[in-house]
Amino acid sequence: WKKDEFRNCDQTPFCKRARSRKPGACNLIATGVAISDDGDLTAKLIPRTLENNEAQDPPIEKDNSKPLLLTISVYQDGIFRFKIDEDPSLNPPKKRFEVPDVIIDEFSSKKLYLQRLSEEKIDNDSEYSSVVYLDDDYEGVLRHDPFEVFVRDRVSKKRVLSVNSNGLFDFEQLREKTEGEDWQERFRSHTDSRPYGPQSISFDVSFFGADFVSGIPEHATSLALKPTRGPGVEDGFSEPYRLFNLDVFEYLHESPFGLYGSIPFMISHGKSRGTSGFFWLNAAEMQIDVFGSGWNAGEDKIMLPVDEHRIDTLWMSEAGVVDAFFFVGPGPKDVVKQYTSVTGRPAMPQLFATAYHQCRWNYRDEEDVFGVDSKFDEHDIPYDVLWLDIEHTDGKRYFTWDKILFPNPAEMQNKLAAKGRHMVTIVDPHIKRDDAYHIHKEASDNGYYVKEANGKDFDGWCWPGSSSYVDVVNPEIRSWWADKFSYDQYVGSTPSLYIWNDMNEPSVFNGPEVSMPRDALHYGNVEHRELHNAYGYYFHMASSNGLLKRGNGNDRPFVLSRAFFPGSQRYGAIWTGDNTADWDHLRVSIPMVLTLGLTGIIFSGADVGGFFGNPEPELLVRWYQVGAYYPFFRAHAHQDTKRREPWLFGDRNTELIREAIHTRYMYLPYYYTLFREANLTGTPVLRPLWMEFPSDEETFSNDEAFMVGNSLLVQGIYTERAKKVSVYLPGEESWYDARTGTTYKGGKRYKLDATEESIPAFQRAGTIIPRKDRFRRSSTQMENDPYTLVITLNSSKEAEGELYIDDGKSFEFQQGAYVHRRFTFSSGKLTSSSLSHSAATNTAVKSSTVLPGSTVERIILLGLPSSAKSAVVEPGKQKVEIELGPLTMRRGQTHMYPTIRKPNVRITDDWTIQIL
Amino acid sequence: SNPNPVLLGVSPQDESYYKGILSSSATFVKCKDGSKKFSKSQLNDDFCDCVDASDEPGTSACPNGKFYCRNPGHIPVYLHSSRVNDGICDCCDGSDEYDGKVNCTNTCWEAGQVARDKLKKKIATYKEGVTIRKREVEQAKVAIAKDEAELSKLKNEEKILKGLVERLQEHKEQIEKAEEKERLQKEKEEKAKKEAEEAATVKEKQTGEEEAKSSEEETVEVDTEDKVGLLEDSTSSQDVVGGHDNPKSELFGGDHTVEEELPNANIEPVEKEYFQAAEGDDEFSVEEKPNVDVGDDLEKKTADMKSLSKEELGRLVASRWTGEKTEQDKNEEVVHNSLGDNHETQEENSYVEDNTYDSEEDEHRYDHDDDDNEEPMDDLGDMDHDDGSSSSDKFESDDDFDLSDVGSTTKSSWLEKIQKTVRQVLRAVNLFQTPIDKSEAARVRKEYDESSAKLSKLQSKISSLSQKLKQDFGPEKEFYSFYGQCFETQQNKYTYKLCPYKQASQVEGHSTTRLGTWEKFEDSFRFMLFTNGDKCWNGPDRSLKVKLRCGLKNEITDVDEPSRCEYLALLSTPALCQEEKLKELEDKLDMMNKEQPTGQHDEL
Repeated sequence: WKKDEFRNCDQTPFCKRARSRKPGACNLIATGVAISDDGDLTAKLIPRTLENNEAQDPPIEKDNSKPLLLTISVYQDGIFRFKIDEDPSLNPPKKRFEVPDVIIDEFSSKKLYLQRLSEEKIDNDSEYSSVVYLDDDYEGVLRHDPFEVFVRDRVSKKRVLSVNSNGLFDFEQLREKTEGEDWQERFRSHTDSRPYGPQSISFDVSFFGADFVSGIPEHATSLALKPTRGPGVEDGFSEPYRLFNLDVFEYLHESPFGLYGSIPFMISHGKSRGTSGFFWLNAAEMQIDVFGSGWNAGEDKIMLPVDEHRIDTLWMSEAGVVDAFFFVGPGPKDVVKQYTSVTGRPAMPQLFATAYHQCRWNYRDEEDVFGVDSKFDEHDIPYDVLWLDIEHTDGKRYFTWDKILFPNPAEMQNKLAAKGRHMVTIVDPHIKRDDAYHIHKEASDNGYYVKEANGKDFDGWCWPGSSSYVDVVNPEIRSWWADKFSYDQYVGSTPSLYIWNDMNEPSVFNGPEVSMPRDALHYGNVEHRELHNAYGYYFHMASSNGLLKRGNGNDRPFVLSRAFFPGSQRYGAIWTGDNTADWDHLRVSIPMVLTLGLTGIIFSGADVGGFFGNPEPELLVRWYQVGAYYPFFRAHAHQDTKRREPWLFGDRNTELIREAIHTRYMYLPYYYTLFREANLTGTPVLRPLWMEFPSDEETFSNDEAFMVGNSLLVQGIYTERAKKVSVYLPGEESWYDARTGTTYKGGKRYKLDATEESIPAFQRAGTIIPRKDRFRRSSTQMENDPYTLVITLNSSKEAEGELYIDDGKSFEFQQGAYVHRRFTFSSGKLTSSSLSHSAATNTAVKSSTVLPGSTVERIILLGLPSSAKSAVVEPGKQKVEIELGPLTMRRGQTHMYPTIRKPNVRITDDWTIQIL
Repeated sequence: SNPNPVLLGVSPQDESYYKGILSSSATFVKCKDGSKKFSKSQLNDDFCDCVDASDEPGTSACPNGKFYCRNPGHIPVYLHSSRVNDGICDCCDGSDEYDGKVNCTNTCWEAGQVARDKLKKKIATYKEGVTIRKREVEQAKVAIAKDEAELSKLKNEEKILKGLVERLQEHKEQIEKAEEKERLQKEKEEKAKKEAEEAATVKEKQTGEEEAKSSEEETVEVDTEDKVGLLEDSTSSQDVVGGHDNPKSELFGGDHTVEEELPNANIEPVEKEYFQAAEGDDEFSVEEKPNVDVGDDLEKKTADMKSLSKEELGRLVASRWTGEKTEQDKNEEVVHNSLGDNHETQEENSYVEDNTYDSEEDEHRYDHDDDDNEEPMDDLGDMDHDDGSSSSDKFESDDDFDLSDVGSTTKSSWLEKIQKTVRQVLRAVNLFQTPIDKSEAARVRKEYDESSAKLSKLQSKISSLSQKLKQDFGPEKEFYSFYGQCFETQQNKYTYKLCPYKQASQVEGHSTTRLGTWEKFEDSFRFMLFTNGDKCWNGPDRSLKVKLRCGLKNEITDVDEPSRCEYLALLSTPALCQEEKLKELEDKLDMMNKEQPTGQHDEL
C-alpha cells in the first residue's frame, strides 16, 4: 500500500478546514419559512446579524453571507428529504452540480405534498420551530435559530436523526477570485487548477438511540464503524472515512481509507430505538468522521444534552449541493427499503450469475479455456461462468480479440454454451489512443472523451498505454457506448457472453492518486471533482444498458463493476477489488460484503482465494467455504500467482473445494428466492445478524458470522489450523446444524470443533429451505431437477419458508411469469400456497408455459418425532412413506431424520402433506 | 440396447451383483456399503437411498454415482451420475439421456473409428519405439558397465599416482627445508649487508609480485616459468601447492580471472542497453539495483515518482500489477538475468578461453594449472554428447583428447612413463648435498607439479564419473542416454534448451533465463522436474516440468507457461515406449474391435 500517494485529510484543504471547526461555529438561522406551491417547505438560511449574536466565532465570512435556499420534502414510507443550495436568482458564478440519474423516476411519485406546517417552541428556544408531517409516527422539524433540521417521534418528541445539532454546518459559496488569491492545489507532481475555488460543504449528522453506525462503503473495515475522532480512536483510524473512488494497489484490511466505490449512506442501529439512515446524494470527494462518545466534552456550545446513545458524525464534501435524506426505519429492513425506494431496488440477476464463476488474469487462449472447462467436468465440479481478463483483447482494445490466442471466440463461447455455461469478457472505460481502433476513432471524432481543463481530450495512462476516457456522464455517449455491445458491433460476441467493468474509478496510472485530475471537464462543463465518485456508476449503467439493448430488452444484463455509487444495484454485481491472499482479507470480506448489502449493493463478493499472492491450500479451501455464501461467488487471481483451479492441490483439497461449491449449488433455489426478495424490498441476501435479531445486543459487533436470508446462519473460519470455532446463535429458538442436523439452543455462544469439511452453518428453527441436491455441470442443467425441502420445526412445531422460480433469464417475470410459493408447516401439515405479488390473473397460465414441471423429491423434517411413518398428500389422497434419511447425501452421514420419500408433488401446484 | 431398464448404467463387472438383487427372494437389499436397506423396486427409481449411490446406478439421483455407458463400437466409459438426463449427450451411444428431453444419436461407430485409427497409429509408434527402447536399454547397460570399469581403473591409477605425488612432495619439502636452512645461513652471514639493502629488496619483491600477477592473467605459461625460476618467491609456490591439494581453489582461481574480465566483457553491454532503454533517465536507472528486495525497489520508485514524466509514471504504476512489463522493469530483469546467470556466463567464457588456449598451446597443456579449470563442470555435461552449437563440439573433441590421454587407450604408457621419470628424478636428487643442486630441485618441483596436476585431473574425472553413475537413469536405465544431452526447440522468439540431469534455460537473443536446475524424475518417470530457476519478478522462482511421452526420437514438441514462470514442456522419447503400455493399447484396440455392434456400421 502506497500511503504517500494518497491525500490524507491534512493534505486536503477542505477536509482540514472542516475538521478544525468548533461546535456551534455555524451562524445561520432559518427565515422566510413557508410551504411552496410544490408542497415543499422552503426557507432561507442567513447569517445571524451581529446584534443578535455579539460573540461571533468565527466572524461572519463575508463571501458566505448570501442567503442559501433550503427545501424540505416528504415522501411515503417515512422518507424526509432536504436540499440546500445557493439561490439561483442571486446569479452565482456557476450552477452547482446535482447528481443526475441516481434517484429513480418512481420516487417522485411517492412525494407527499405538504399542506401545512405548525409552529412550536422547542428546547426553550426564543424562536419558533416549524413542524411538518412525515408519517403517522414521525414528524420533521426545522428549527429556525439555531438552524437545525431533524425528524422526531411524534409522541415522545424525541429526535431520531438530525443535522447541525452541533452547529458544524458550513457552506462555501462560489465567488469571484480576489486579486492575488491562489486557488490552485498541488499534490505530489500534480496541480489542480481549481478554477472555481473553494466550494465545499460540511455538516454534522446525529443519530439518536444508536448503539453503532454502519454503512458508507467502501472501506476494508469492521461492520460497526469505529470512531475516527474523540475518545476511543484506535491506531490507524484517526483519518475520517474517505469516500473517493480509487484504484488502491494492495489495500490494507483494516483502514478507513476509501477504496473503489462510494455510497454516502449511513445506517445507525440501537437496541431501544431501532434503525435509521442518512443518505447524502453527492458525488464529490467526501470525508466522514464518526465521533467517539464524549468527543465534545468541554465544549461550551453544545446544543444537545449528553446522550450515551447518540452518535455524532461529520460529513464533508468538496463540492456539489446538499441533497440529503433521513430514513426513520424503524426496523433494519425498513431502512434499506426506504433507501432503495430512492436509489432503486437491486436488479434481478440471471440464475447463472448467482452460481459459481471461475476467473483468472488470464486464461491464456482457447486451449486454456477448454482445458479448464474440461477439468471441471473431469472433477465433477460445477461452474457457470468462465472469465477472460484484459489479455484476451487485441492490445487492450476492448471489444476486440487477440487473433492468435482467441482466433474463434464465437465458436469457443458456443462450445461452452452447449454445456449451459457462459463467458464474461472485460471492458474498461479507458480507450487506447490508436487511430486504427474504431472505438477511439468514433469517440475522438464525436468528442466523446472527457476533456482536460484546457479543452483537449484528456490523455492518461492505463493498460493500453496512452488512453482517453469515455464521458459516460452524457446520456448520448452512454447510448453510443451501449450500442457497442450489439452482436454486429462487438464482433465475436454471442448471447452467452456477459461483461465485466474494471478500472472505472476511473483508474489513471499517471493521474493524481492514480485517478483523473479533478479539473478535467465532463459534459455540461461539469468538473470531474463534482462527479468523480459517480463516474464508474455511469459506465456500469452504460454497459448494462448495452446488454439490455443487445437482448432486445428481454435478457437480464450481467455486468460486474469495481467502482460503484448509490444506484449501482440496478446495474449489476460489485466485487471488492484487488484483495490479497491472506487470512485477514478473508476475514474482512464479510463485513465488506455485509456493508455493501446494507447500502443496496446486495450482489457482491470478494475474490475467492485473494487476488494478490498465493494462498496456502488451507486458506484457499476456507475461502471457498466462506465464498460459497457470498452473493457473488467468483474465484480470481493475479497473473503472477500460481495456478489455483480447484483440482490443483491434491485429492483431499479438491474434494473439499468441490464440497464447498456443491453447497452453493445445493442452496441455489434459496439464493434465487433471496435475490427476488432483494429485488422487491431491497433486503440484502447476506445480512448482519442484527438485521434478523435487532434487539440482541450480542449481535451488534458480530461481523464474523452472517445470515443468508432469514433462515441460515453461517460462521466463517478465519484462522489457520483452527481447532475450535466460537459461534453465537441468537434468538429464543433453536438452531439446526445444516450438515448434521444437531440442535443448539438459541441465545448462547458455543465453542465448536472446527472441521476441515465445512464452516459452521445453522438453519434457524421455524424455517423451510428449498434445495436442489443434484449437482450438474452448471445451474443450467439443474432447471428440471427435483427439490428437497428442509423443514426445521420451532418450539411450537411450526415452520415457514418461500421459493421463487422464474425462467432465470428474461424479464417476463415482471409480467407475472413466475412462481412464488409459500410453504407453511403447522399442526403436522405442510402446505404449499401461492405467494403472488402480481395482480395478473393469468399468472398460473403464464408460468406453466415458462416453467418446467419440477417436483419435490424429498422433504426432511428436523424436530419431528421419528415415530412418524407416513403422510398423505392432497389432492389425490396419495400415501407416502416417511423413513429415516440423512440431511445430505454425503458419505459418512450418521444422523438420520424423518424424510418424506418421493412425495412427487409439483413445485408449481398447491398441495398439502399431512403427517400421519 | 440394454436388455433390462432396471440395470441401466450398470457396468459388466457389477451386472451379476444387480442381477443377484433382482433374482433374490428378499424384499429388501442392503446398500453396497451396508449403510441402509432399500427395496427392490427402489433400484434405479430416481431417488437416492444409499449414500454410496449403489441403488441408483442409472439415474442422477445420487451425487456420487457413476453411470456406465457401453458404447459399443467405441470405448465404454463411466460418467459422473450428474451427467444422466442433463440434456447433454455424453455417451456416444446416447444411453445417458433417456428421459426424452433430448434425442441423442448413436455416434459410437464413427467416433470409434476415429479413435481406433488414432489408437492404431499410436500402437505403430509404440511398436517401433519399444524396439528402439530395447536397443537403448541394452546400450545403456553396456555403457554403464564400461563406465564402472573405467571408474575402478581410474581409481586404481589414482592410488598409484597419489603415491608418486606423495613421494615427490616429501622430496620437495625436504629440498625446501634445506633451502630454507641455506637461506637462513646466508641471512646470518649477510646480516649487516642486508640491513642496508633491506628497503631496496622489499621494493623489488613487490614489483616482482605485481609482475607475477599481471603476467598470470596474460599467459599462464610465462607465469609457470616464473614460478620455476623464482625459487624464493613463496607466494607463487603456495599457489601451486594450493592448487594441487584442492582442485576447487583452482576453480576459484579461474572464476576470479573471469570475474575480473566480466565488467568489460559482459556487464557493460547490458548496462548500455539498460541506459539506452531508460531513455537517459540516469538518476532513476542508476538507483535501480538488481537483486534488491522488490519492496525496496518500489519504495525507490515511489520516491522517484515526482521526477518522472507522465508516461513514465503511468508505466510505473501499471507495473505494480503487471510486473515486468515496463521498460524499466524489463531492463531490471535483463540485468538481473545476466547476473543470475553469472556462473553460466563465466562457464561460457572459460570455454572460449580454454578452447583458444588449447588450440594454440597444445603441447603445453599439462604444464598449466589453469588447464583444469573447467573440468569438473564440463565433464558433467559434455562427457558424452552435446548436440548443437559449435562451441560444444570443440569441447567434445577436447574431451576426447583428455580421455585418450588419461583414459583407457594409452593407459599403461602414460602412467608407466611417469613412474619411470619420477624414479629417475628421485634417484638423481641428493638431499644431503649442500648447497642443493638448483637444477635438480627444479626437476623435482616440475615433476611434482606435473604429477599432481595429472592427479587432480584424474580425481576430477573420477568425481564426475561417479557423479554420473549416481544419477537415476530409470528402472531399466532407459534414460542413460539423456545424460549429457540437451534438447532444443524454438518457439516464437525463444529457444528452449533442456539438458536432463543438468539444467533448463530459455534463450532470447543474448539473454539467457534459467528455468531451473535438474531436480528429479517424478510420477514414475513420466515427468522431469527442473526447479529453482531465476526468480520471477513478483512471482515464484522459475521452474520447468517436462512431460515425457512415447515417440521415436527425443524431441521437445511443446513448451507452455500455464502459470506465471511455471513452464511445462512435452518431450517425446523412445524411453517412454514401454512394452506393457503397448500391450495395454493393443488390448484396448482388441476390445474396441470386439465391441463393435454387428452390422451396425453397415446400416450407417
